[in-house]
Amino acid sequence: MLARLENVTKRYRTAEGVRDLTMDVPAGEIVGVLGLNGSGKSTLLKLIAGLLFPTGGSITVLDGSPRAARSRTVYLGETDTLWPWMTSDDAERFMVGLYPDFDARRYRELLDGLQVPSRKTRAMSKGERGRLRLAMALARNAKLYLLDEPLAGIDLISRETILTSLVREWHTDETILLSTHEVAEAEGLFERVIYLRDGRLALDARAEDLRERGKSVVATFKEVLS
Amino acid sequence: MRGFRTLLWLEHRRSWIWAVSLLGSLAFWAWGIKQVRVMDVGERLGIRAGLLAMAAAIGVVVLCLMIGRIRAETRHGQYQVLLLTPPRGYAHVGARYLYAATVAFVYAVTIGFLYWWIMALAGIHLDARTLLELTLAAPFYASSVTVLPLLAWTILLMVFISAYRISGPGWVPGTVMILGTPFAMRWLINGIVRISYSLPGWRLFANAPAALIERFGQPDTEEAFQMSQIIYKGVPVEPLLIMLALTGVLLAIAGRIWQEVEA
Repeated sequence: MLARLENVTKRYRTAEGVRDLTMDVPAGEIVGVLGLNGSGKSTLLKLIAGLLFPTGGSITVLDGSPRAARSRTVYLGETDTLWPWMTSDDAERFMVGLYPDFDARRYRELLDGLQVPSRKTRAMSKGERGRLRLAMALARNAKLYLLDEPLAGIDLISRETILTSLVREWHTDETILLSTHEVAEAEGLFERVIYLRDGRLALDARAEDLRERGKSVVATFKEVLS
Repeated sequence: MRGFRTLLWLEHRRSWIWAVSLLGSLAFWAWGIKQVRVMDVGERLGIRAGLLAMAAAIGVVVLCLMIGRIRAETRHGQYQVLLLTPPRGYAHVGARYLYAATVAFVYAVTIGFLYWWIMALAGIHLDARTLLELTLAAPFYASSVTVLPLLAWTILLMVFISAYRISGPGWVPGTVMILGTPFAMRWLINGIVRISYSLPGWRLFANAPAALIERFGQPDTEEAFQMSQIIYKGVPVEPLLIMLALTGVLLAIAGRIWQEVEA
């Protein structure tokens, strides 16, 4: 098991992010984390990444605390997090210097594949910045990838490029937790789907089981969350 | 070590415009000093020295602003990226601090040279030892008892607020720390004054009186007495030791709290 959450609650100042959440994240799956706005998707991924600490319950990632496992997990947040002066070369220097598991050759290939320009991020479009951040994330040889809305606000062509890269770069011993509102586009990726509603686990199902019952991930999304 | 070097590089890329602007501003101060045209040499020297002291004070504020940009980084998500990198909080805080402290020292040394310059303009010719003391020893002493602990305090304040920002009201610890600081400083200064000169002082500028007498003649009895007291006793080393230790403690706490920050 890569990660385990037991009765996890995260309370903010005025609201609750997730409530009494219990789930396991096994190795070797692409898991969709789906839900409406404010359902707790980002909170869940941040908790597993170690960016947030739970108010109650416990989280174990790679047999330790999430913060302790940060050198073996990848978190790609939903906001633009790169410094405006950074170029793809600067980003490489940053990653090579800080992450021993960063594969510079793979990064270069990803930059080519994702068609990331070499200019500063302040001069890039949102889609180009998103693709650069994805290249930085996927060039690491980590066990657990937490991708929070990597498709948000990105044009259709770039979204397709990103999804294709995700499938191509995924290794069977790695787990990807992908949160997205583009459920229909990403549906084919998912082996397992976690539906969140108001910070609680509404449904945890294998995509194949859903399909056997004649339901798509999208149809179940509507059924469970509407 | 590689991680620390990368964090230093990152700090340089993030802050070089601040650093260059700050150091470049001394050219403006030098120009301003040259414009002081009061007839009396002593008065002119006093005004010029006062302007340099003002430049030093403004530099401290700019350096604190430079090192304390964590809030902006939090808003733009870059703090998230840093929190998730493998180096521990101590390395992040250390790299950020080392860069700012280096800029502070270079700034102080340059001001030391400007003091030497205004003295030369006033016709005071310092020997090599006094020049070294003015441009190295004095900047080290002045930085260590003022700007270095202030920078450490600023970084601790920012990390402290960040730690409570998401799950609690971050302004509460920030306000407590800001309001509590004057009291803590008063207590600290009283303590330092009480124990100062328990150890032998650090004798700086022992040769300076000769240069001053050569230029301005013999001082009156009262001035001569005060000058000889300062030169004989030297500057107290206790504030230096205490402030350096305090800086280390503040940085260690900031590094530890960094591990607990949410983003």
